[in-house]
Amino acid sequence: MALDEPIHGPFAEFLDDYFVECEEHLGVARRSLLALEPSVGQPNPDRLLLDELFRCFHSIKGLSAMVDVRAAEQLAHQMESYLSALRKRQILTTSGLESLIAGVIMMEQVIAARRAGASPPDIASLLHRFSALASLEEGSPSCAPVDEPTLPEPEIGPLRPGESVWQFTFAPTPELAARGVNVNTVRERLQAVGEVVQAIPLLHVAGRIAFRFVVRSNAAESSFAVWERDSIHYEPYASTSKAGDALVESALPSDTEQRPAAPVPVSPLGGSNLVRVDLSRLDELMRMVGELVISRAHLDDTLKRASSAMQPADWRTLQDTNLALERQLRDLREGVMRVRMVPVREVFARMQFVVRDLTRESGKKVALELSGQDTEIDKFVVERMMDPLLHLVRNAVSHGLETSSDRAASGKSPEGHLSLRASTTGETILIEVEDDGRGIDAERVFARARTLGLVAAETAPTASLLDVLCAAGFSTRDVADRASGRGVGMAVVRTAVEELGGSLALDTTVGRGTRFTIQLPLTLAIADALIVEIAGQRYAVPQVSIREVIRIEDAELTVLENNEVLYYRGGVLPLMRLSEYFGLDSAAQQVRYALVTGEGLRAVGLAVDRVLGLREVVVRPLTDPLVRVSGIAGATELGDGHAVLILDASGLARSSRQSGKRDNLRLNALASPALATAR
Amino acid sequence: MVQSGTASATETFILFELAGTSYGLRSAVVRQMEMVEQITPVPNAPPAVEGVVFSRGEVVPAVNLRRRFGFPVVPHDLRTRLVVVGHAGRTVGLLVDAAREFVSIPADAIQPPPEGMAGMNGKYLHSIAKIGERLVLILDVDELLNFTQPDVQAPAGASVPRTSHGQAPPR
Repeated sequence: MALDEPIHGPFAEFLDDYFVECEEHLGVARRSLLALEPSVGQPNPDRLLLDELFRCFHSIKGLSAMVDVRAAEQLAHQMESYLSALRKRQILTTSGLESLIAGVIMMEQVIAARRAGASPPDIASLLHRFSALASLEEGSPSCAPVDEPTLPEPEIGPLRPGESVWQFTFAPTPELAARGVNVNTVRERLQAVGEVVQAIPLLHVAGRIAFRFVVRSNAAESSFAVWERDSIHYEPYASTSKAGDALVESALPSDTEQRPAAPVPVSPLGGSNLVRVDLSRLDELMRMVGELVISRAHLDDTLKRASSAMQPADWRTLQDTNLALERQLRDLREGVMRVRMVPVREVFARMQFVVRDLTRESGKKVALELSGQDTEIDKFVVERMMDPLLHLVRNAVSHGLETSSDRAASGKSPEGHLSLRASTTGETILIEVEDDGRGIDAERVFARARTLGLVAAETAPTASLLDVLCAAGFSTRDVADRASGRGVGMAVVRTAVEELGGSLALDTTVGRGTRFTIQLPLTLAIADALIVEIAGQRYAVPQVSIREVIRIEDAELTVLENNEVLYYRGGVLPLMRLSEYFGLDSAAQQVRYALVTGEGLRAVGLAVDRVLGLREVVVRPLTDPLVRVSGIAGATELGDGHAVLILDASGLARSSRQSGKRDNLRLNALASPALATAR
Repeated sequence: MVQSGTASATETFILFELAGTSYGLRSAVVRQMEMVEQITPVPNAPPAVEGVVFSRGEVVPAVNLRRRFGFPVVPHDLRTRLVVVGHAGRTVGLLVDAAREFVSIPADAIQPPPEGMAGMNGKYLHSIAKIGERLVLILDVDELLNFTQPDVQAPAGASVPRTSHGQAPPR
C-alpha cells in the first residue's frame, strides 16, 4: 500500500466496518494465543484454539483484501499458512508462539496505520520469519493454503418443501461497486430470495477476493439467473462432506441431529444474535432518556408546589406515581447505559499481550495479575482509555520493574509483579496499575525537572510528583526506548483521564513499587451533582469530582503568600474563590463551604456560598465557541427550564494551581473589590 | 444571492428592532423567537455574550446585540426577544429590543450597502431593503456570529465591567 493512497477508494464505505471486524478478530486471536501458551512444546496443542486462530487470520485476510489493505492481507496470509502447517505437525514451538504474537502486534500496527492514513510498518522480516517457520513445519517451502478444504460446513438445517440450496459466488470489483453492486447489496438481494445460511470470503488464485454465499430458497432459478450480468454466479450447492450431501439430497428434518460431531461453524460474515450499533444512536437514546429525566424533575417540582392545594389522598396517589416513575426512569437509564458498557476484559487481554512482548524484549520476568475483568465500562470511555493504560503498563515494565538480578540483589523475588485491577464503586470506576518495582524517586524527578526548566527551584516543593511527571515535555530517559518512545507521555495520560471527568492519582515508595489509580465516572451523560450557590447563581458540581465538603469557619482561613488557605486535617488547603475566578459580584457574599477536589498536594478547596442539595443532572455540552470557557463543563436544567452551569472541578483546580504567583486572575482581581478587603 | 433574483422573486425576512432601527435576517436562518425568561451568565465569555438559555433542549448562547453593535445596553422588558438563528452548524440566540414581523421583500427592493457604511456596524451589513418608506438593514449572519476578529472583542472586553453579567433582567 503506497503512502499516498487515498483513504477514500471504491471500498471506503467498508472501512469502518473493516476496522471494527478486524478489532474483533484480533481480540479473539489474542485470547487464543494466550490460552495456547501453556501448550508450547507439548505434543498436542488445543486443536480448537488453532482452528479459532486460523479462522481469525483467514477472516482478516479476506477482509483486508476486500478493502485493499495489502500489508495486512499478506501478513494474515503468512500467519494462516504457518497455522495450517502447524495443524498438521501439532507442535507449537516457543519461537512459533512468539512469532504469532509479534504477528498480531504487527497486524494491529498495520491496521492502525491504515486507519490513520499513514504508511504501513515494514512487515518484510516478519513475513520471512513466518515462511521460514512454515517451511520448517512442512518440510517444504510454504505455499498458499488451499482455501476450499478449510471452509466450514454451513448449517443448512431442514429444508421446507420446494426449497433448494444454492451456492452463489460474487467477486467485487471497483467497476461493480461503481454500479452499486457490492457485497452488501448482493447480500440484500440474496436475503430477498431466501435465507443466507453461510457467507464466506474466499481468496482467488490471483489474490482477488470473492464471496461465497450458501442460500436456501424456494425462488425459481430464473429470479437470480439475471444476476449473472452483475457477476453473481450461482450453482446448486454441493457440500464437500458426505453428511452434507445427504442433507441436501434427502432434506430430512432429522438430519441435523445426525451430525453432532461436526464442529459448529462460525461464519465470519453471517448472522449471529449480536447487533452492532453505532455509538451515536445510543447517544441519541441517552439524550431522550435525559429529556425524560428533566420532564420528571418538572413534575416533581410542580407536585411539591401543589401539595397544599390538593386533597391529601389525591396528592399521595400522584406522589406515589411520581416516585414509581423515578424508579422506572433510573432503570431505563441503567438499561441504556448497560448497552453501552463493555467488559474491561478485552482491554486487559491486550495489556497482557503487551506485557508479554515487553518482557521478551527486556529479558525481565513479570507476573501479571488481573482482577475485575468483568467490570463494565462505557465503550466511549474504553476507547479513550486504551492509550493511557498502554502507556502506564509500558512504563511499569520498562521503568518500574527491575531486572531479575537487580531484584535478587535487593532481596525481592526475581519475578516482578504487575497488577491490573478494575472495580466499580457507586458512580465511579477505578482502574489501578500497580507494580512492585523500584518506585519513583521524587528527588531525582524534581532534579531532572529543574534541569529541563519545567519547574523553578523554589516552587518544586509545592508541586506534586505527579504534576511534574505529567508536565508536558518531561521524560526521565535521555533516549526514548521502544516502549516509551511512542509519543504518549504522562501529560497525555492525565489529559485523557481528566477529559473524561476522571482523576489520576499516584502512590509510590522508592524500592517498593508504584501504583497509578485512574478514577472515572460511570456514565457521562447523566451524573449526580451537588447544587451550590456562588454570588447568587446556582451551579452544579459533579459529585464524583468532589471528595469532601467542608464548612469554612473564619478562624480557619489564613492568608499565606497571597493565597488563601485553610488549615485542614493537619495540612493546608489552598482555597479558590470561584466568585473571583468567574468575576462575579462578590461584595456581599459570604463563603461558607469549600468543596475539596483533587488528591494530596493537588487538592484545592473550591469556595462556594451555599450548598443547596444533591440532584441527578443531565449533562448538556456547551458546544458553541462563544460559551466554551475554562472551568465550565456544560449546562443542565433542574426542572424549571433555566440553565444551570456545570463546573469542571478538576479543570478549575488545575487553573488554580497554574495561577500561583503568575497573575492569571488579573482581570478578576481588578473587578473584585472583595479580594482587596480579604487580603 | 439576493441581487441575482429576477424582478418578481421575493425573499422572506424576520424583522426586528434594535435601538430604534429596523433590521432583517433571512427567515431561513431563524429557528424560532422566544420571550426572554432567565439568562444564565457564563463567566469569562466574550462581553457581548449575556449567557446561555435552554432552547428546545439545547444550550444556546444569548448574544446581546446592542452590546455587539456598541449601542447603550438597556434592561430587558416584555418586548425583548431572543431570535434563535441556526447557521453553519451553530445555534446562537440574539437578544433584540423587539421582533414580530415576517415579511416578503422583492429582490429589486434590496440594494447592496452604500460604500460609506463600512464603519463600525457596516461589516455586519449584508444589504439594505426598502419597504415603502421604511429602510431595513439586512444583516450578514456570518459576520454577526464571527467573534474571532480581535478588533471587536479586545477594546470592548477591557471597558465593560464584568459585573454587568450578573445583573438580573427585570421581569
